[in-house]
Amino acid sequence: MSRFDRRALLPLAGSAVLAAFSVAALPFSGGLFRAARTPYDASDSAYIAVDAWMVLKRAEPLIPPGASLVVRSEPADPSTDSYFHRFAVALLPDRRIVPAARWGQPTEPILLYETEYEVVVGRRPEEPPGRLLLEIPEGTIWKRGP
Amino acid sequence: MRGGHVWLATFALFPLVGAPLLKHPVFHRFGLVSRVVLAGGVGMAIVSWTMTVFALAGVRWGPTLLLVSVALAFALRLALSGASERVPFPRGRGEGQGEGRPATTVAALAIIAVSLLTALAATIAARSTSLDLVLFWGPKAQQFAAARTIDATFLSAPYIDYMHIYYPPLVTNVFALGAMVAGRFPWGAATLTFPLFLAATAFALPGILRNGARRPAAYGTTALVVSALSLLGIHASVAGNAEPFLFFFETLALALLLTPFARTVAGQFLAGLLLAGAAGAKVEALPFVGAAVVLFFVVLPAARRSPGPTLVRLLGPAALSLVPWFAFGASRKLFYGYYSYGRFLEIHWEHFGSVLSGLGTAFWNAGYALPVLVPLVVLLLTRGKTRRAILPLGVAVLLAGFFTFTYLHSATDPKVWIGWSAARIFSPLTVLFALAAHTAAQGEDGVEESSG
Repeated sequence: MSRFDRRALLPLAGSAVLAAFSVAALPFSGGLFRAARTPYDASDSAYIAVDAWMVLKRAEPLIPPGASLVVRSEPADPSTDSYFHRFAVALLPDRRIVPAARWGQPTEPILLYETEYEVVVGRRPEEPPGRLLLEIPEGTIWKRGP
Repeated sequence: MRGGHVWLATFALFPLVGAPLLKHPVFHRFGLVSRVVLAGGVGMAIVSWTMTVFALAGVRWGPTLLLVSVALAFALRLALSGASERVPFPRGRGEGQGEGRPATTVAALAIIAVSLLTALAATIAARSTSLDLVLFWGPKAQQFAAARTIDATFLSAPYIDYMHIYYPPLVTNVFALGAMVAGRFPWGAATLTFPLFLAATAFALPGILRNGARRPAAYGTTALVVSALSLLGIHASVAGNAEPFLFFFETLALALLLTPFARTVAGQFLAGLLLAGAAGAKVEALPFVGAAVVLFFVVLPAARRSPGPTLVRLLGPAALSLVPWFAFGASRKLFYGYYSYGRFLEIHWEHFGSVLSGLGTAFWNAGYALPVLVPLVVLLLTRGKTRRAILPLGVAVLLAGFFTFTYLHSATDPKVWIGWSAARIFSPLTVLFALAAHTAAQGEDGVEESSG
């Protein structure tokens, strides 16, 4: 008599195949054995989320609650900026986040200039928007005015 | 202890809340491990309902809500005080009919362990995190925790129209409860709900399926379900999203409905509470709940003899779970129901080809369609399926039809929409096919026949 239950063999074989593919889906060369810097390091959303996450987390102690800010990409991309606005709402609670773009449509520039802080994800802007508070490879954080 | 650890530890509160109900002797048949997890599911549904009622009444969340939740669980237990139904249970006679073949169970446990560890590794490596976590689940939970209520001011703020403010409240409530205790919302820990709920499903499912089948079959089906959800979850990026909650509630509820225990008052009531958890977790659980209940009446003639009470037990908790939520939305002038992506019944047949190809691409991208195809192949090759298979198969067909119908409402080409949503919302199909195949291990009445 087989030590295996005949009727359970089919689901077992199927689950073995699925488990093997699960193992193969792990990011062995993409940071499986490194501590992730953000929750999105090896995800499908890494292209849009990782750099923004890095900059916004560093902005947290620099931008006080209640302050207004805009987060934007450099070079500017309204589609990306729409996401950055949403990330800022999540990662910088209690601040007033002015979207650089919403649903892919750029906001009136005058509204952006009225914010106290500007967070730039990407390369350093050619025209400094204010006083540089922080520069990291993923972006820069600026304070407008004196 | 770090905030993330504290946040995760709060999930231990839910089995404590649900314990008064699941301690009822009628549930002893599930075994201790399964009962603890089921108590967690019931506790979560009760706590979320209490939080929503508190928010509706304008009462801030605090320790009182847990006391009220426990009191509710005791009240539910009282409602079952007379329950002592006897239904066939195969464990006793199963000895010597396959129970003595531990190799099957050991192999299944090994595969379950690999699948769970893989889901955990993928989550820790930030491979499977859903963008929805940072877009709306996390921000809402974080804000609700800070406000100690469902914050209507936040939900009506300008520029957050992307947050799906009408989405049902269970996930944000559960996330917010942990954030209140931990003092902050830990984004990384929130992603761990994927392996956590997958593990909870793996621990609870064998105890439920054992009510209608022998141990090897119960563990074999559990291995298939868990491995399929693990692969799909990794590829479809469900970590931090509501899908892990849905996997958990929908899988356990439907598995329960397939057992002979579902003939009893207690069984139907427990299934109803799990369906309420699903309905509270995500919008797309509603068609699942509706289809499951309708098809339960189709496959179980006994249920049709007293349709009213059965309907109340199965659907009552889900309806009750949503009443305070919609009352909250309406009273704060936030929302008056669920919104759709297009005009109802304005179907764009010109997108039919695009929908089909989009679905094909989405499934292929989610593990080469294997999470759906493998359980489907197992189902097709399994002999001896019973009439009960109509229940999971019917739900699968109705869900697939409903979601396709929904996509056809899009005025613009829905391919992008399908690309980021289809693999996740069609995910119950993996479980449904596996459970349909499992009916072959049960007799026509849901109890395994003696052939071995």
